[in-house]
Amino acid sequence: MSSILTPITQSKFFNNHLKRVISDDTFAAKTIVVCSVMKDVFAYSVRYKTTMENKKIPEKRRPFVAAMDLASGVVTSIAQIAVGFSIASPKVQNHLWKRIFGDAQFKNIGLAKKSFATILALIGSGLITERIIVPLIATPLATLMENKFFKNIPADTPQKAYHNYPFEQNSPFKQILNK
Amino acid sequence: MKVPNVTPVKFNQRLANSLEKFSEQGGEKIANYINAAGKFAIAPLMILYNPFTKESKENKEWAAVKQPVEAVVTIAAQILSLNLLYKGIDKLAEKGKLSFKLVQDAINGVEKIPDTILKANNGDIQKSIMAMHKNCIDIFKDRVGTILTIALYIPILAISNRVFPIIADLLTKDSKNE
Repeated sequence: MSSILTPITQSKFFNNHLKRVISDDTFAAKTIVVCSVMKDVFAYSVRYKTTMENKKIPEKRRPFVAAMDLASGVVTSIAQIAVGFSIASPKVQNHLWKRIFGDAQFKNIGLAKKSFATILALIGSGLITERIIVPLIATPLATLMENKFFKNIPADTPQKAYHNYPFEQNSPFKQILNK
Repeated sequence: MKVPNVTPVKFNQRLANSLEKFSEQGGEKIANYINAAGKFAIAPLMILYNPFTKESKENKEWAAVKQPVEAVVTIAAQILSLNLLYKGIDKLAEKGKLSFKLVQDAINGVEKIPDTILKANNGDIQKSIMAMHKNCIDIFKDRVGTILTIALYIPILAISNRVFPIIADLLTKDSKNE
C-alpha cells in the first residue's frame, strides 16, 4: 500500500496543494466547492449516458433530452462555482466572520475560519444555487425548449412517453428537479 | 439563598462551539451532509411549489417523496463508507506509512510552520508539527473521500432505486387504507 501512497504523499504537486489548503482558507473552501461540483459533473455524465440509452424516450427526442441534461449540468456547475467562489472570497468571509463571530472565543480559530468559509461556500453553491435558483430558472427554460423543439413530432410518436410513470419519466425539467 | 452569578452563553458563542465541533468532521463529510440536507428538505419543496412546473399534483408528490428517501440512502451509504476509509487511513498513519514531504520539510526546518498552526499550539514547535501532520492527513482523507464518493454514485443510485419502490408501496398502502 505504501508503494502506491508514497509517490502521492511525497509529490511536489500534492504537497503544494496541502500547503495552500493549510494556509489559505479561500483556496480550501474553493477546493471543496470544486470537489462537490465534480460529483455533480459525474452524475450528469451518467444521466446523459442513461438518457441516450433509455428506450422509453422516443428515438427522435433522445438526443435533445440528453443535450438538455448536458446543458443543465453545465449551467448548474458554472453557477455553483461562481456562487461558491464568490462566497469563499476573503472580502465576503471577513465581513461575515466579524458580524457573526466578532466577540466569540475559539479553541482553534484557524480551523474554525476554514470550516466557516467551506460551509458557507457549500451552502451557497450546493443548497441555494443548485436546489433553488437553478430549478427556478431551468424549469421554464426547459419547458420552453421542449415546446419549441417537439412541436413538429409526428402524431404517431407517443407524445407523453415519459409522462406516464413518475419514476421512469425523463423529461429535462424533471431531471433537474429530481437531482 | 445566594443566587450564583452565571453569565448566559451568547448565541454566537454557541454557534462558534457548534462550528468547532462540526469542523472535526472534515470537508468531504460536511459537503455530503449539506448536499443531503438540500435534497432532504429543499428539493421536495421545490418540486411541490415550483410555480413553473406544469406536472400533475400526483406526479409532483411522488417525485417529492423520492428526494428524502434518496437523501437518507445516499448519506447513510456515504458516511458508512467514508468512516471505513478514514479508519483505514488512520491505521496507515499510525503505522507510519503516511508521511508527507511538507511535514518532513517542517521538521528539517526547510518549510515554515504556518502561523495559524503555531498560534493554535501556543508556539510549541513539537505540537505544531503534530497538528500539521494531522492537517495533512485530514486533507488527504478529504481528497480520497471525494474519489470514493464519486465511485459510489452508481451503486448508491441503484440501492436508492430499489429502496424507493418499497417505501412508495408502503405509502400507497397507507393512503389506500385511509
